[in-house]
Amino acid sequence: MSRIVIILIMGLMAFAVRAGPQVFFVGHKFPEAWDRLLRYLSYAFICSIISVTLFLTGAKFESQLAPYRGAALMVTIIIAYKTKSAVTGMIIGTIVLLLLGWLR
Amino acid sequence: MSFSPRFRQGAKAAIPILIAFVPSSLAWGIAAQAHGLKLDEVILMSAWVYSGPGQFAVLVPLAEGKSSLQVLLAGFLMNLRFLPMSAALAPYFHGVKRVPLLFASHVISASSFIVPYLQFQKEREGLSDDSGGPQRIDGYANLAFFLGVGATSFLIWVVGTGVGYGVALGVPPGLEEALKFILPGYFAGLLVVDVKGRTMALVCAGSLVAAIPGALISSGWGWLVTAILVAILGWALEQWKCRAS
Repeated sequence: MSRIVIILIMGLMAFAVRAGPQVFFVGHKFPEAWDRLLRYLSYAFICSIISVTLFLTGAKFESQLAPYRGAALMVTIIIAYKTKSAVTGMIIGTIVLLLLGWLR
Repeated sequence: MSFSPRFRQGAKAAIPILIAFVPSSLAWGIAAQAHGLKLDEVILMSAWVYSGPGQFAVLVPLAEGKSSLQVLLAGFLMNLRFLPMSAALAPYFHGVKRVPLLFASHVISASSFIVPYLQFQKEREGLSDDSGGPQRIDGYANLAFFLGVGATSFLIWVVGTGVGYGVALGVPPGLEEALKFILPGYFAGLLVVDVKGRTMALVCAGSLVAAIPGALISSGWGWLVTAILVAILGWALEQWKCRAS
């Protein structure tokens, strides 16, 4: 299956999820407990993807690069937490990664 | 109230979202280019899927040519969060015909949900206070406000993606490592700012750690399974604590 076809199907599925309640859910309330579960699922996915993107290539753990990327991620998290700004955290984390790359 | 003023009101209310969308759309465009996606694929994805976390979820498996089922499942599970958002908005569009509703639902995103939802709640409470009883909801006026927020956010997202892609093309070689860090770094920052409560923090930390052994066992499905397990475990613990207290 080509990437374009995958993107088209993915968009259709996203549309179905968005449009479904507008057609079938009018007048109903989504249960709070299920809302929490879906929120946890999306947070868990994002964290898993961050981990996989930064520390793995295919099924191989990037043991040489992982400490640098891990350090940059920690800096990003700390700065974002302190400043309450994701952008500031991302910029400083990226700079740290570049600096560590040059020192390597 | 007619469509235009209400749409403009929505567009004005969306300004904080637009400010947040600029860096995230740029980051997505840059990351997609760095992972080898073509411009048409990137723009199509932003316009047709229109889901930052969902696009992020499938970027690596899509770029690496992983199984299409895996890509679609990851995207679907990530986009399931639109279900409660859309359901929560539905009562405020009372009386609106289905066709405009279907078109409008495409621009539902986490950001474009929160602003109209809070606005509609505030307006409904205001109306109830004034009259002492519940008032009829003007579905079309609410839809115009929602579109003011959603359409402008959507436009910024798609344009920002294209600009980000162009920016990445202009970056000198040797900086790929930094380009690939931008999107996960941005999402990590967003999570840190957004996470509330101990359970949510535990779910995030648990899935961050568990994804690595999961992906080492099965590079395609491992991280997906561990994320689902950690989320369900966190949710079940929370439910159990709620019932116990």
